Amino acid sequence: MVVKSLDELKSGEKGKIVRVRGKGSVHRRIIDMGVVTGTEVEMQRVAPLGDPIEIKVKGYCLTLRKEEASNIYVEVS
Amino acid sequence: MDNEQVLPDEPGDKSLSRAWQESLSHLKSVYRDEAETIVADARYGFISGLMHDVLKKPAIERLMLSDKIDRVVLNRWLGIPLFLAILYGVFQFTFVLSGPFMDWIDEGFGWLAGPAAGISPAWFGSLIADGIIGGVGAVLVFVPVIFLLFIALSILEDSGYLARAAFVMDRLMHRIGLHGRSFVPMMLGFGCNVPAIMATRTIENPKDRLVTILVNPMMSCGARLPVYVLFAAAFFTAYQGLVVFSMYAMGIVLAILLAWLFRKRLVRGESGHFVMELPPYRLPTITGVVIHMWERGRVFLIRAGTIIFSIVVLVWLLNYVGALEPIGRAIAPIFSSAGFGQWQAAVTLIFGILAKEVVVGTFGVLFTGVEELGGLGSVIGFELGWTPLIAFAFMAMSLIYVPCMAVIAIVKRETNSWRWTGFVIGYTLVLGWIVATLIYQIGRLFT
Repeated sequence: MVVKSLDELKSGEKGKIVRVRGKGSVHRRIIDMGVVTGTEVEMQRVAPLGDPIEIKVKGYCLTLRKEEASNIYVEVS
Repeated sequence: MDNEQVLPDEPGDKSLSRAWQESLSHLKSVYRDEAETIVADARYGFISGLMHDVLKKPAIERLMLSDKIDRVVLNRWLGIPLFLAILYGVFQFTFVLSGPFMDWIDEGFGWLAGPAAGISPAWFGSLIADGIIGGVGAVLVFVPVIFLLFIALSILEDSGYLARAAFVMDRLMHRIGLHGRSFVPMMLGFGCNVPAIMATRTIENPKDRLVTILVNPMMSCGARLPVYVLFAAAFFTAYQGLVVFSMYAMGIVLAILLAWLFRKRLVRGESGHFVMELPPYRLPTITGVVIHMWERGRVFLIRAGTIIFSIVVLVWLLNYVGALEPIGRAIAPIFSSAGFGQWQAAVTLIFGILAKEVVVGTFGVLFTGVEELGGLGSVIGFELGWTPLIAFAFMAMSLIYVPCMAVIAIVKRETNSWRWTGFVIGYTLVLGWIVATLIYQIGRLFT
């Protein structure tokens, strides 16, 4: 089992969130959007200019910047 | 939702507060994480357990179609060309389609003003014709462009593309301290800054939105083009296209520099995050689009309309009592450092505040007595002794200084602050003077 930060995933790679680091309003927003420990995520794609990224969680598509995704750790399956 | 706390505030009571601190550090030592995260995790754990037990999910077909569309629309190579093509489409739709409507409104008011000017006494006829009819006309002429633009924007928003456009452009905009959602309003500024500033409503973070509004006037709108064309044709025969293009480029560079500077010095603080949903594509409904369009268009008519109207009447009054030439003469010396210190130039700049294309018409009236443009540029060169360098400095001034009264009105409306409105007027005036002076003074060293 490999643990990576979410921004390091390649498109199509899936995994389970093991930890969400961070503080403040962005962190709260990420949690509010359902990105919490134990959730399955799938990397969808990176934006044409290389940032932000799009992931699939809980059946919907979510975008976030790499900077924000680097605080989220995923156990790659 | 953003400000909603996962944990309540620390209790004021002393013994409770101690117990609070202890359990926080206990949680931290056991889970090695912030209490906020632990509570949220537990909540979501409970929710997903419950959902697992009680809910059966059908496969969502719309999501799969959306996936397929996104594979093309957000493609690494196609994403940006497609975005630019869609933007170009919005432009064409808005500004080409509104052209005839604007001409009709313009002609209609001209037709009304004719007989009205004949009403006696003369001052009253002039007030009705030039002041009131002219004023209402100046407001209404913007209506087609605003309503059409909002139809286009509503379609983009309701279909789900606007969120994707922000996704495509965010990196570029984030680098200068703005947000992905700032890009579309900036591009729309090339058409008209009024609807462009209204389009900043799609930006959630108030600071990102404010800076996008403040720098938007640097995007060279369609009304400035006649000014460029007049002088480029007269003074830069061989390089007309290049000279006009340089004005647009100068505006873009200034907008980027100013956005960066304002974000660093004036409107500091965190830029908006980009944690947002990409909604599945939907077919926009006509009712939805019309409601969106009407809600936004109405605001322009009511609020901006009243401000524009009062400014037009004020300028009419100044003109009627013969105060414009003395004012022009009083202001003119300020611009001698930029080469165009003649009172006629100052008067056209004052009129340019009504609408930028009026600069051309005013020169026409001052020098030929009619608003006829044939050879006007060369007449100005001859009468005022302007060189190509001075013409270029004047073009730069026209680009930068106070956008126009409609933009001023809309900045007031959208920022809801006279302070920021005053700031836009102030910084554009000072910056215009600085850039024009620099062009003239540095250019003089080489010619």
